[in-house]
Amino acid sequence: MVVLREGMCPGLEENIVRDLRAANITTVEDLVASDSEELAQKCSLSYKALLAIRRVLLAQHTAFPVSGADLYEELLSSTAIVSTSIPSLDKLLDSGLYTGEITELSGGPGTGKSQVCFAAAVHTAHRLKQSVIYIDTTGGLSASRLLQMLQVQTDHVEEQMEALQRIRVFRVFDIFSLLGCLHTIRCGGPQQASLGAGSVKAVIVDSVSAIISPTLGGKQNEGMSLMMQVAGALKTIAKDFNVAVLVTNHVTRGAGGELQAGLGLTWSHVPRTRLLLERSRGPGPLLGSTRTATLVKSSRQPCHIKAQFDLNWGSGSEEGLPGRKRARDSSDS
Amino acid sequence: MKPVSASPLSPSVKVKLLNAGFLTSEELLQLKPLQLSKEGGLSLEEALEVQQILREGVDLPGEGGAGLGSTALELLQQEERSIVTFCSSLDAALGGGVPVGKTTELCGTPGMGKTQLCLQLCIDVQIPECFGGLGGEAVFVDTEGSLVVQRVADMAQAAVQHCCLQDQDAEQRDALKDFTTESLLGHLYLMRCHDYVELLAQVQLLPDFLVKNPKVRLLVIDSLAFPFRRHFEDLSVRTRLLSGLAQQLIRMASQHRVAVVWTNQMTSQLRGGQWELVPALGESWGHSATQRLLLHWSGGRRLASVFKSPSQSESSVAYSVTREGFRDAGPLASSPSGREQDSSSQSESKQDSSSQSGSKRPRTQEGQ
Repeated sequence: MVVLREGMCPGLEENIVRDLRAANITTVEDLVASDSEELAQKCSLSYKALLAIRRVLLAQHTAFPVSGADLYEELLSSTAIVSTSIPSLDKLLDSGLYTGEITELSGGPGTGKSQVCFAAAVHTAHRLKQSVIYIDTTGGLSASRLLQMLQVQTDHVEEQMEALQRIRVFRVFDIFSLLGCLHTIRCGGPQQASLGAGSVKAVIVDSVSAIISPTLGGKQNEGMSLMMQVAGALKTIAKDFNVAVLVTNHVTRGAGGELQAGLGLTWSHVPRTRLLLERSRGPGPLLGSTRTATLVKSSRQPCHIKAQFDLNWGSGSEEGLPGRKRARDSSDS
Repeated sequence: MKPVSASPLSPSVKVKLLNAGFLTSEELLQLKPLQLSKEGGLSLEEALEVQQILREGVDLPGEGGAGLGSTALELLQQEERSIVTFCSSLDAALGGGVPVGKTTELCGTPGMGKTQLCLQLCIDVQIPECFGGLGGEAVFVDTEGSLVVQRVADMAQAAVQHCCLQDQDAEQRDALKDFTTESLLGHLYLMRCHDYVELLAQVQLLPDFLVKNPKVRLLVIDSLAFPFRRHFEDLSVRTRLLSGLAQQLIRMASQHRVAVVWTNQMTSQLRGGQWELVPALGESWGHSATQRLLLHWSGGRRLASVFKSPSQSESSVAYSVTREGFRDAGPLASSPSGREQDSSSQSESKQDSSSQSGSKRPRTQEGQ
């Protein structure tokens, strides 16, 4: 529903707009759907001018079909895979995060979702030397933790600083700011965040549910619409700029008491691949540092396969995150 | 070229505008208010309000991160000191103390010392910068009525004495002149809320308060769970209110550079056929705080466990609550210390903590 305004296309002057409005033609759809000959007679406008306007407006507002073969060529040449730097997770994800798609990590509190996001960001910034956009909604991003992870991968301080400069952080705390931020990213494009250090290869939103869940439910009727706008914006960014989008989500208990990802059925269709992270059960409040990831939705692998990974990377172990978090020995000896 | 559907306008106004064919907010700002009200089917006040909201969004690009954001390197350079807890093992487990700009949750059963730790933090945030503190002020939002001012005064006095033992140069001696029990109590702002509506309203008004008092570096809410565990028949409403509250608190923490600390209660949950003690307010509440500390008993000692943190690994440390406040645990031989300790072990633990945490604290701050 695009309102007709003067200057929209060459030939659409103010008097023409006024005449059309008098004949009850207010939007582009009305103009295109009406019979041009009849309209020319009713508004006493030139038939040729009206046809020309109609043609230009159609060209401006239609979508263009693309052949499947062209799409396939484009897919082969432009899709890249961004590894998460955790080998067991990469195996689940069929070697990593695919560009042009949304991947979701869900899990309860303290299951390591933010840590996996940090690992993916550090890997992209340092190994692949590409920029990362990190949208932080819970205040969980700690630059010193990123530095710690980088210090394990390389000892050169300049490389560490360069990698840190490639990670661009946006802090948003409500849904309208998130939509504005995604809009800025779409309009600014990869040039805005690159600082001349490589184009953006990954966009990480941690977490998308903290922002959306206050708007859903109850008497509010806008929540679903805003949620799907966020989904649309993320998908457009993923497709148009060939980036891998990683989002995190919380979990709720389903009808049978089993864990499932939050935000409901509508959101479940948005990501292409979904992982569910859980703690490995242990005694007492001090649980171990291993986590289990289950593949819940995927178009490439069979579902419900699991993998384990460790949040602390002990010396020589292959299955962990880079960098040991500052560990304290338990002092209740 | 921002779409109208993504603008922070009220839903009824948005529907009218979308039906009238407006797609982007630029189109809305180009018209005069009278034209807008005629074409959009709005009243004149609504049209004026719409234009004002959209203009505010355009004029403040940095608000809420919709601007250019910042690189991780800039964030690393901006990271602030943490607030020490006077318990050196807990400070080490937390990576220096309670972080500024993030939210921390303290969970524990009654009598573990959550309020004591909150009061200790309110004192510690005011320690002058030359002693390794932040030199800031604190806001204490009390929902339970468990604050006893005499206890705060005792803790303040102990902190002042501790710092007096530490002064090494003229700058520190100067700072000590302003660092008295009276000034400590004077920079602690108390707010009392009786139910969840008052708490929500208070949190809504806090950003203005923080702008007027830019020296505030700590916000404590004790306790957050208490008003939300009564009067709620509809738990989904409670979850929504709580998640909205969490977002407001983390926004305040991030934008005004304060550390937000709140306390939570414990509840029992049936899990795998056994009753377990878990933090209250539901499972999704666990995501709200950036860091979670669990205070619990273990084998006759009080332990604080770092349960969820973006930068520290999980660990447990022992602590004690003494007459001077929140401190390191005394030697193993002594029984778990409460407030009714005899004078001999009191002076012993005071000396221990002052020698340990006092001499360690400035060094660890510089070494970070």
